Amino acid sequence: MKRITFTLTALLCFNGAAFAAIDWESKGMQMAGEIIANPAGFFYDFQQDLEGTTPLPPGKTWGIQTGLFPTAIPLTYANVSGKVRLHGEGRIAPGVPQVDLIGGYWDMLAAKMATKDSKTIDSAKFGGYYMGGIISASVSPKVRTFWGYKHSVMAAKLAFKPDEDGKLPQFMGTDLNSFDTGFKDDFIIAGIETPKGVNKLWSMQLNYGIKTQTFSSKVSWYGKYFELGLNIFPEGVLVVHPVWNFHLNF
Amino acid sequence: MKRIILSAVIAAVMGGRLCAAVAEDSKIFTPFFDMTLNEAAYMPSVGNIFSGGNINTQVGLLAKVTEKDHIFGLYNFNYAGQGFAPQDSKQFTDRSMTHAFNFEYRRNINEKFRVRPGVSLSSDYSRSGANEAWKNGLYNMSALGFQLAADYIFDFEKNGVVSLTYLSKAVKFPNYTDLLREFQDPSNTANANGGLQDQGIKQVSLRPIWGKWFGGITYTLQNFDNQKVVENTGVYGTTKQKDTTTAVDAGFHHALWIFELYPMASYTMHRSNQNFMRYKSLNDSASATFVSKNYDYNELTLSVPVDLNITSKWALGGALNMTSRKYTDRNRRDENNDYVDGLQKNLMTTLTGSIRKRINDTAMVRLYYALTVASSNNKFEKYMPGNYTGNTIGIAYQLSY
Repeated sequence: MKRITFTLTALLCFNGAAFAAIDWESKGMQMAGEIIANPAGFFYDFQQDLEGTTPLPPGKTWGIQTGLFPTAIPLTYANVSGKVRLHGEGRIAPGVPQVDLIGGYWDMLAAKMATKDSKTIDSAKFGGYYMGGIISASVSPKVRTFWGYKHSVMAAKLAFKPDEDGKLPQFMGTDLNSFDTGFKDDFIIAGIETPKGVNKLWSMQLNYGIKTQTFSSKVSWYGKYFELGLNIFPEGVLVVHPVWNFHLNF
Repeated sequence: MKRIILSAVIAAVMGGRLCAAVAEDSKIFTPFFDMTLNEAAYMPSVGNIFSGGNINTQVGLLAKVTEKDHIFGLYNFNYAGQGFAPQDSKQFTDRSMTHAFNFEYRRNINEKFRVRPGVSLSSDYSRSGANEAWKNGLYNMSALGFQLAADYIFDFEKNGVVSLTYLSKAVKFPNYTDLLREFQDPSNTANANGGLQDQGIKQVSLRPIWGKWFGGITYTLQNFDNQKVVENTGVYGTTKQKDTTTAVDAGFHHALWIFELYPMASYTMHRSNQNFMRYKSLNDSASATFVSKNYDYNELTLSVPVDLNITSKWALGGALNMTSRKYTDRNRRDENNDYVDGLQKNLMTTLTGSIRKRINDTAMVRLYYALTVASSNNKFEKYMPGNYTGNTIGIAYQLSY
């Protein structure tokens, strides 16, 4: 008992020493700096949250999807995605994989409202689209691997106008007129899917951007209506995105 | 440098696992798929909270051309994010990303003997806390090499196999520049940028597997193409740098009742003819101190993971990991960067507790907490902490087929 007490005391001491070092204010400043340095990268991570990059379930020919969190709520990304099956696995000949086309579009409603209501924002456009294809093949009754390509594009444009006093917004002592940034890349997708229960699937996938070397790992659980996921952006500002999407497959 | 040695040793160890990938009798093509994802929050006693993790994706295909001739191709993507690391290896904020391709031809000479010639190419990107673009990393490297391996099966009943592998690689560092030389002579870019880290690696390993046991000995020789050795005058001489690393490792995987153990130990001896000239600052030549064989060390690593399988789905896990490095010729330094009596010793110990859930035969998820205690008798910690404690909370997923 004495040894256990000593061990627990030592652990608590270590905890105290370690947790005392957290400086939330400087962490927040660091994150703000990263967003300013690469705003397109920050907003594109959320586009990846709404992109439907898993294959259609076996037997389904088309499907629609919309991202609920963190895309529609709270970021006001109005979005819709679709999938169409071109070939069912084994239809033409045994062993020929399933082929799906994927694509989607989003537009940030908050940017439109800001343009309408703000006295300093002249115009704002935050939106994007993606399109691609996914090949999937069963390697055992319980495992399906999938491979894909997607072309992703995002635009982030913001233009300011002088306020009533004729002043433009300032950043670090400089007048801000506008910024026009965007993101465009071709991605390779590799993933694996396995059943978790009746009509429930579990998948992991890697998305890798060839030009920008942007990458993410998506872990998802999905059923008939909803998809829950954890999207990991190791080099992003917000590394972990909890994701909730709604989909229907027919 | 540490990364190259580690990569080479991991490649040798992984070789054992991947060569075990065998074709299913009924199939011409057998896929190999392994994805692991680990993401964690780190709270060190030195510096601020940060997050980091690891993504590893291996995709392979084994093609059975004939009963005796097989071809194995493997692509490996690995991202090593921010995290705690043994002292003198990397900073918390350093990250790296690797794309590696391996192609192997496997020929069964007879029932007991198999040869495996192969080629490998890889690109490695590095990134520091300054968040430079991946393509601009100082330690970015590309490697091209070939291997010749032979497997001898000495016990069919207990899966006893011994593998002898020879590996040769040419490694290029296109972005590497010697910042000190650049500072001393800005016009002399040829000496500062002329492929100073480029090197040829030759490696021989002998690895037996027998039942639950595995082990091996790996000898690695690094011949630098251009880097010269620093002499006691403080200038580079004519001798080229040459490093050797000898590593011995052993372990086993054993299940006893509800306990599952897979301990592993390794001992590494690193030797280099490179020396070190310590300057306290760039303009202070009076403080220059010469340290011969500055980079020679012996390192013991110990890993003892234990899983307690409560049910077929749930398990409680615990692990002890320890890395102890002792330099053979480098004295420790005090807080003022002055060398004092006694050789430098580093010790890093990590205690991990975890809960693991097996989702099915191919997938699992693990939630873990780890306590890291790092200590060193080297007290000069201006650039890299050597004495700290850290807490880690993380989650790991794995899907493999």
